[in-house]
Amino acid sequence: MALGLTLIFGIMRIMQFAHGEIYMLGAYAVYYLTVSLKLPLFLATCLGMLFIGILGLILERFLFRPVKEDWLSAVVAAVGLTLILQSGAVAMFGLHHRNLPVLAEGPFNIMGSIFVPKDRIAAVLVAVFLSLILYLFLKATKYGQAMVASAQDPDGAILQGIGPNRMSALSMAIGCALAAAGGVLAGSMFQMGPYMGLLSLVKGLLIIVIGGLGSLPGAIIAGISLGIIDGLFPILFGHAWASLSPLFFVIVILVIKPQGIFGHE
Amino acid sequence: MGYLEIRKLTRFFGGLAAVMELDMDVGQRQLFGLIGPNGAGKSTVLNMIGGILRPNRGQIIFDGTEVTKLPPHLKARQGIARVFQENILFSSFTVLENVEVGYHLQTRIDLSSIFLETRSNRIQEKALQQRALDTLEFVGLAQYSNELAINLPHGRQRLLALAIALAAQPQLLLLDEPVTGMAAEEVETMLSMIRVLREQKGITCIIIEHNLKAMMGLCDRIAVLNFGRKIAEGPPEEIVENPAVMEAYLGKEEDVT
Amino acid sequence: MNREGMFKIFGCIGAILFAIAVPLVLSSTYWTSVFTSIAINSLMAVSLRTILTIGEFSLGHVGFMCLGAYTSALLTMKAGLPFGVTLPVAGLISGLVAFALGYPFMRVKGIYFAILTLVTSESIRLLAFNWRSLTGGIDGLIGFPGAGVLSIPGLGQLDFDRFTEYYYLTLAVVCVSLFILYRLEKSKLGFTWLAIRDADKMAGAVGVNVLRYKVIAFSIASFFAGLGGGLFAHFERALGPHPTAFFGVMTTIYLLIYMVVGGKAKFVGPILGAVVLSLVYEFARPVEEYQPMIIGVIAIVVVMIIPEGLIGIPEKIKRWHSR
Repeated sequence: MALGLTLIFGIMRIMQFAHGEIYMLGAYAVYYLTVSLKLPLFLATCLGMLFIGILGLILERFLFRPVKEDWLSAVVAAVGLTLILQSGAVAMFGLHHRNLPVLAEGPFNIMGSIFVPKDRIAAVLVAVFLSLILYLFLKATKYGQAMVASAQDPDGAILQGIGPNRMSALSMAIGCALAAAGGVLAGSMFQMGPYMGLLSLVKGLLIIVIGGLGSLPGAIIAGISLGIIDGLFPILFGHAWASLSPLFFVIVILVIKPQGIFGHE
Repeated sequence: MGYLEIRKLTRFFGGLAAVMELDMDVGQRQLFGLIGPNGAGKSTVLNMIGGILRPNRGQIIFDGTEVTKLPPHLKARQGIARVFQENILFSSFTVLENVEVGYHLQTRIDLSSIFLETRSNRIQEKALQQRALDTLEFVGLAQYSNELAINLPHGRQRLLALAIALAAQPQLLLLDEPVTGMAAEEVETMLSMIRVLREQKGITCIIIEHNLKAMMGLCDRIAVLNFGRKIAEGPPEEIVENPAVMEAYLGKEEDVT
Repeated sequence: MNREGMFKIFGCIGAILFAIAVPLVLSSTYWTSVFTSIAINSLMAVSLRTILTIGEFSLGHVGFMCLGAYTSALLTMKAGLPFGVTLPVAGLISGLVAFALGYPFMRVKGIYFAILTLVTSESIRLLAFNWRSLTGGIDGLIGFPGAGVLSIPGLGQLDFDRFTEYYYLTLAVVCVSLFILYRLEKSKLGFTWLAIRDADKMAGAVGVNVLRYKVIAFSIASFFAGLGGGLFAHFERALGPHPTAFFGVMTTIYLLIYMVVGGKAKFVGPILGAVVLSLVYEFARPVEEYQPMIIGVIAIVVVMIIPEGLIGIPEKIKRWHSR
């Protein structure tokens, strides 16, 4: 179900609200790296998330921080990174698609009378789980609240003693880790290829816009609605129109409420 | 009946009324002051008159024409110009070019000039430059014409902002904190400039300021806002005596030097 | 005319002469087609920069290229119109669509606008891909007429279906387009655009209809993107899923990199970026999988060390000397 997929994208987007559009591209680039896991799925995923998270920290420190001022440069840096990683993936793993072991997820054999593939359910569950953890983190922990604060009011946050660099690093790390998780989930449901990141990038951007930059619930709701659209429309209206529908949806929302559903800016 | 009439002007932000049912009349050639503690809604009023914000309710009537919902560029066409609180200048341009932008309404963009440097276009260019230079002379910045606008010190930048607004040939000028952050002599320069505007060009001004002493000396009438409502209006001498005004300012760190 | 002006003019003439000489010197259709691509990409990169001059940023420029490409291809194929007509029409259609979309799109904040443009271009691409009846879906459009043959009395015939002739045609169109874009930027219109980029609040306050000017810039830029698309279509002579992928995010990324690496502050920047990076890409063919990586590395290095781009290098050297 496309719903699960877009929910995953939704999670990945969420980190963006904290510190800037730029990091998102980096996180997506990182998506590709999830390909290399060969260990038992669960362990590999955790390790992958950890590894990618650390990679995110490194990237933030050395690549993104110096160019944070000039946002266009930062976008280019992120984009350059994407190219590098993508290219590297092709070089290392070849162009053809591969699959992550889905069947490892198969054992969730609770089959209802409706034919919903179990692995999709599992993916959705994992996505929901991760979203919840993120939500709790942001609401309930010191660091989480600090991140929200510095997203909404960077200068005020500095005055409170919250270091902006730390926040950027942290949000990048978490974003990347989540992206890695998303990559694993997506990879287990669909085929993986070096170009998978781009599609999710677009979807993810859509989600941010609709949900509103800066709001986690917004992103979730946007993710869900987009998933529904993606799932239903092709059936109802045929492929051609289905591809245009997200666009119309976005235009409509932005015209009505230029900050997105829950945005505040 | 005034030159600028404001009737029941109201604006909400979320659930909060930033400005509530404001009635105000500004006469022609008046120097009208708008004061009040921080957050009283003064800038919001100016934003609505200037067209950046739309009022939720109420009317703004300028020289007989209703201009309530007009966007900024159409307000400019009606003769209302604005000097912003933050020094917003065109950072890639020189001082002279900045003022040239202000003359936008009086310049025609000729498509033919895009491909050919025709003589008439060159004449027009020169004429524009001359007018901009004249405006700069008027505010006393002519010698800085070719400097980059951002290189100017704060006080001169304020004057430049004024010059740009003047280029738009306004009849009503909205001045948002024109002397805040300026040294004493600069304040005097700006104040006398404003007076000259009225004397020589007949421009009406609405001024927001926190520098009460300056306001007392400058304005013909002052309106006081608090929590979005007008609590007093009248000539400076009355305002100073008004107990409600005192109360509004009590406990605030105002620059009443 | 001061020294800098003379320098610029000589530079232009030199570049044009060089461009004209290329196919004659390197008489190989391969390189001719490479340079044709470079020319088209330069136009795309420069028109992308036009949007930057109003302070906005479009991630969907290729969408208009796609629109233009299909428009021109379809008109030659189905309506039998000559290339000389379909090319400008392709540009016009792109420009008009941009005009229509521009009004709602430009009301929103910068980053949102960028995302909207991205979504638009993806939608256009998917639409082109999926609309079987019109565009042949997976099979695509193949073999539609090229630019055709032009008879010039006295000079004989110019067969634009051949690589060399098409290169010169493309070069001519691109040069004229670049000239137009350059003059626009230096004109009062361009001046107003810059003012809007610097301080749109202030510009509005002195009477500039900010929205209209922004939309005009967007439309003009998209017009030229459409033109580029038309040139591309008749160059490839086929539009199908593989070339269609060309109109996707990857190309957007490349155009962006051309523009920034070349230098976004000056008009010439994107041209330089397109030329240099395309050549690098070509020379990197032997290590095919690493091509994107090389470009990516260059992009990152340039952005971190010389943020103004490659054309900023002379300035930097000057500053080094005067230390």
